[in-house]
Amino acid sequence: MTAVLSKFWKVLNPAWLTGPIFGKELRVSSRRRRNYVLRFAHLILLTVFVAMVWLTAVQLYGRPSNALQSARMSQAGIVIIGAIIFFQFVLTQLIAVVMLSTSISDEIYHRTLGVLMTTPINSLQIVMGKLLSKLLQLILLLAITLPLLAIVRVFGGVPWDYVVSGLCITLTAALFAGSLSLYFSIHSRRAYVVILKTVFTLAFFYAFIPAITIALLRERAPERATLPVLVLLNPFAMLVIKTTSLTAPAAGAMLLCRWWWHCVIMLACTVVVLARSVQIVRRVALRQASGQLRPESKRRRKRRCRAGAGTQAEQSYGPVRRVRGPCVIWKEIRAPIIQGADRTNSIIGLGIAVAALLVTYAVCMLNRCLDDNTTQVSYVLVFVILGLVVNIVPAAASITSEKETRCWPILLATPIDDWSILLGKAVGVVRRCLPIWLLLAGHVLLFVGKGYIHPVAVVHLALVVTWLIVFLSGSGLYFSARLRRTTSAVVANIALAIVLWGALPMLFGPVDAIARGGLLSERCMSANPFVQAVVITHGAGGAYNASVALSQLRYEWPGRILQTAATTKILLTTWIIYVLAGVFLAWRAKRLFRRNIF
Amino acid sequence: MIQTKRLTKYYGNLAAVIDLDLTIEEGDIFGFIGPNGAGKTTTMRILATLLEPTRGTALINGLSVTKQGKKVRRLVGYMPDFMGVYDDLKVFEYLEFFAAAFGIERRRRKSIVEGVLELTDLKSKQNVDVDSLSRGMQQRLGVARVLVHDPKVLILDEPASGLDPRARIEIRELLRELKKMGKTIMISSHILSELEEICDRVGIIEHGRMVFSGSMEEIISRLGIQNKVRVKVLNNRQKAVELLSALPQVRQVQTLDDYIAVAFHEGQTGDGIIARTLVNGGIDIISIQPEKLKLDDAFLQLTKGIVH
Repeated sequence: MTAVLSKFWKVLNPAWLTGPIFGKELRVSSRRRRNYVLRFAHLILLTVFVAMVWLTAVQLYGRPSNALQSARMSQAGIVIIGAIIFFQFVLTQLIAVVMLSTSISDEIYHRTLGVLMTTPINSLQIVMGKLLSKLLQLILLLAITLPLLAIVRVFGGVPWDYVVSGLCITLTAALFAGSLSLYFSIHSRRAYVVILKTVFTLAFFYAFIPAITIALLRERAPERATLPVLVLLNPFAMLVIKTTSLTAPAAGAMLLCRWWWHCVIMLACTVVVLARSVQIVRRVALRQASGQLRPESKRRRKRRCRAGAGTQAEQSYGPVRRVRGPCVIWKEIRAPIIQGADRTNSIIGLGIAVAALLVTYAVCMLNRCLDDNTTQVSYVLVFVILGLVVNIVPAAASITSEKETRCWPILLATPIDDWSILLGKAVGVVRRCLPIWLLLAGHVLLFVGKGYIHPVAVVHLALVVTWLIVFLSGSGLYFSARLRRTTSAVVANIALAIVLWGALPMLFGPVDAIARGGLLSERCMSANPFVQAVVITHGAGGAYNASVALSQLRYEWPGRILQTAATTKILLTTWIIYVLAGVFLAWRAKRLFRRNIF
Repeated sequence: MIQTKRLTKYYGNLAAVIDLDLTIEEGDIFGFIGPNGAGKTTTMRILATLLEPTRGTALINGLSVTKQGKKVRRLVGYMPDFMGVYDDLKVFEYLEFFAAAFGIERRRRKSIVEGVLELTDLKSKQNVDVDSLSRGMQQRLGVARVLVHDPKVLILDEPASGLDPRARIEIRELLRELKKMGKTIMISSHILSELEEICDRVGIIEHGRMVFSGSMEEIISRLGIQNKVRVKVLNNRQKAVELLSALPQVRQVQTLDDYIAVAFHEGQTGDGIIARTLVNGGIDIISIQPEKLKLDDAFLQLTKGIVH
């Protein structure tokens, strides 16, 4: 009994659990400039964000009396705290995913995992050391905002319960997202693949499953019975309801369960993912220590045996393909869409995505909402968000991944000109994000045929998608050429999107209010891809809109309602601006090719 | 074929290469040696057009590596010290990709790649995924890659690292073959005995400065090393030392372990005199062996062993 207890205590002992890996990671991260830059950028962004919210909530809209302004202060406090909590909630999850995307793959790639296995360090210590060291960085980011939260709480009268629950929900959600990223990093060497897999898994758990469950059970079980269970499993929903309950206490009544139950469930899910990671890390490390280069699936082993190729370490399957056309483009097209997944796996993945889409159609048909423009807006918005993520990450990883694998200098030592390399990389990026956009095209064309979307939406959405692809590919290539690490390039590309389509419209809101009648915010919102997608689909989606004449369509842009011609003009203007910006960034990327080679 | 004049490269405040003057004649194998961090890799990267020098000029076949980079790249086959390989490509595809990158016509590529695979003994691996090859095999593939466009100049940064003894010997033989084909080869390695055997000339670099460049004979002359012989005798060692010390050609006689080291005055030799003197003195000789200067010794004498 004593022995069991002492073993239990040993495992729970933080000093043992974190071990030397934790110490090493902390020492390394304290030397990395990017961590200080990240904290600084986080603080600056947060300060600007709070200032904007405060200006919007208290200062503007005329000159109110002191009494009215005091009354607004408490309202502003709630808005500011809600905004900060949401800001941190999204950002910490994103940072956790990016930070842990190379945590184990780096050890595998540098062949240090096998070396670690020859020391008394075990796989639990490796996994926990990696996770906790990155988590510490995240906690530091959260801690930076604590004084701000405390001050706003005092002046705004926000209950402590909300602040504490918000931070706990944020932390557990970040922990879960981070542990998933760590788990996927065992299987994939490339950060972008890990990030995409994590994002899609989270989207599956947080969006797809709840949406399908609610839709399926809507008629059989009352919403009051299913919603608390879904909220319990979804941190986004939990935080939304907690925030709503600040201003509308009735919404809080929906919470039949307490927030800490949600946190416990999230922690339990994290433990499951980490336990599986520990198991696999050990297997991979032992494989590496025994000299095997990479895991081999049963299917591959069978194919290798059938082909009678080489030793177990040497793998060979599929025919040799001859190089056709420009070689960089050939290589980019030859590579699988997802690294590590061959053609069959990619087709299976695409098949699953199509099947999932068909399931949602079936559920919507059951609920007779496919001809509703709100449903179509939801579909298009989901596709645009997924397409955006799928575009941002491979673009930012296109050159840095070659730098990390040291293939970049070899490519640049050939006489291929920089334009050909740039073109090849751009083709590779477009190819990797094409499946999502093809799904969107298929969806739109299907419902144009069904008469649920007006045909003009095809042209409008094509404009949005093309500028989005060109701009994000250009910016991704630029950051990829400029920076050395994939993680840094991905973070930079995501940050650019957040600033352009999140921070800038918020910044311009108060500026417009100060300028009284300024249109900066509206213009900025009109150039936002999400706003454009929503406006287009809302205006041209649904059975009614699809049946009317082109001139009768009405599009609700921020602050104004416009007809088709004016809408097309806005879309074309945005297209020209962003395509030019994308091409300019790609050209800058080309100029940087030979500057940061090593 | 390769010429640098006052070639200098700074990384921030750190001087990696300072005023490097280097000349490599066509068809030569030039061994580039120096301690870690001496500036070998930086020099090679500049010559491969991957780095811009801070100042100075570097010419390959009369072409400037900074101004005529694309033309230079066609002439040069560069193999870096740590070679990356593309995932998901097979050995044949990898080589054909680079053949295409160097602008070789499609109809000629297959035979060229097959020839190179044959030359580097990788024929049996042509259908294997590149990233599943062992380190040594990947190194061989690197050599195959630099040969695919038949370059006039080969710049090989540690090509033998990670190779087993057999593969090292094979690489050495391959380099000799390439020399016969008229290639100019610049090679860096830490295994000096290997360079000694294949190189026509060597360059020793330390702290970014070339401390010596020339043939092995020039090193001997530069270091002022006289001819030496090792004498092993069966009996009466002390008497043998006395007899040899009395010879006018001999400058110094030392007794070491199981042999006697005899150093002659500059320009003097005398294996025959030694043999005659010892036999006449009634001493039985086991062996008389000339002592050659090794590159390792020259390297140790010429460098101070301090790294940046």
